[in-house]
Amino acid sequence: MAAPKVKQDMAPPGGYGPIDYKRHLPRRGLSGGRRPGSGAGPGLGGSAGEARRLLIEDLEARIALMPLLQAESDRRTLRLLRQNLDEEAKIMKDVPGWKVGESRFHTDRWVPPTVDELYYLRPPSEMDNEKFGLQYYV
Amino acid sequence: MPGSLQVPSLEELNVQEVSVSSAVLKAAAHHYGAQCDRPNKEFMLCRWEEKDPRRCLREGRQVNQCALEFFRKIKTHCAEPFTEYWTCIDYTNLQELRRCRKQQAVFDNCVLEKLGWVRPDLGQLSKVTKVKTDRPMPENAYHSRPRPEPNPPIEGELKPSPFGSRLFFWSW
Repeated sequence: MAAPKVKQDMAPPGGYGPIDYKRHLPRRGLSGGRRPGSGAGPGLGGSAGEARRLLIEDLEARIALMPLLQAESDRRTLRLLRQNLDEEAKIMKDVPGWKVGESRFHTDRWVPPTVDELYYLRPPSEMDNEKFGLQYYV
Repeated sequence: MPGSLQVPSLEELNVQEVSVSSAVLKAAAHHYGAQCDRPNKEFMLCRWEEKDPRRCLREGRQVNQCALEFFRKIKTHCAEPFTEYWTCIDYTNLQELRRCRKQQAVFDNCVLEKLGWVRPDLGQLSKVTKVKTDRPMPENAYHSRPRPEPNPPIEGELKPSPFGSRLFFWSW
């Protein structure tokens, strides 16, 4: 067999160098020891017992205020009912046999009125405010 | 028979309300709970026993009266520290009490000096308490119907069925 006329392209003697496949990105963020939430180090909020004491303090504030707010809300409800009954008497005065404030329930006990029942004679904005007022983003 | 709804007149419901904002209420809550303990508990007991807001209007008015007097006393004696305290609470996002301990200490000291009110300890307000009251316990707060008569006693002798259970039909 004769010597080849063409020199075959071969790898350089000693082989190719290592392929550069690793990522060369700078390290980001804090190191593991200082990441928030790692380990049982003191966080921002204090200990669990302290959080619980603060919660109890808040709850006690609500407990203390509850009778005041409840009494006020009762009076408001009754006032609305009274106004509704007066208005109903005025509106339905020409209808024979109409009983003002006739209960729909077969009982004498107090039935808490619904929001629609309280505000049906008032502007719709008031009912909306009563229903969804606390859900709006202020 | 469905009766008609009985609602007291507007004059009866007309009370001077405590018109202060939530931050003020929250700032004063602990002292208020300690000072107006009696009317508050009385009202809540009435509300719990009667199950009817129309029957507890008198107690509710006493609660309101006590709250008004409480805030008037604060206003005459400790207006400035109190205003600072509730302003601080109003400025923290969630009305957190823990952000305003400095102003709270000033307010507590002022109240202790001028009025002799001690801030209740943690757990003091949420204790279960017994309330002594003159209001008689309501009978049948739910207006329930009377229980039906019990069945009459069975006359005659009760014997087991001679041919077994009637529910059994697989007899062949």
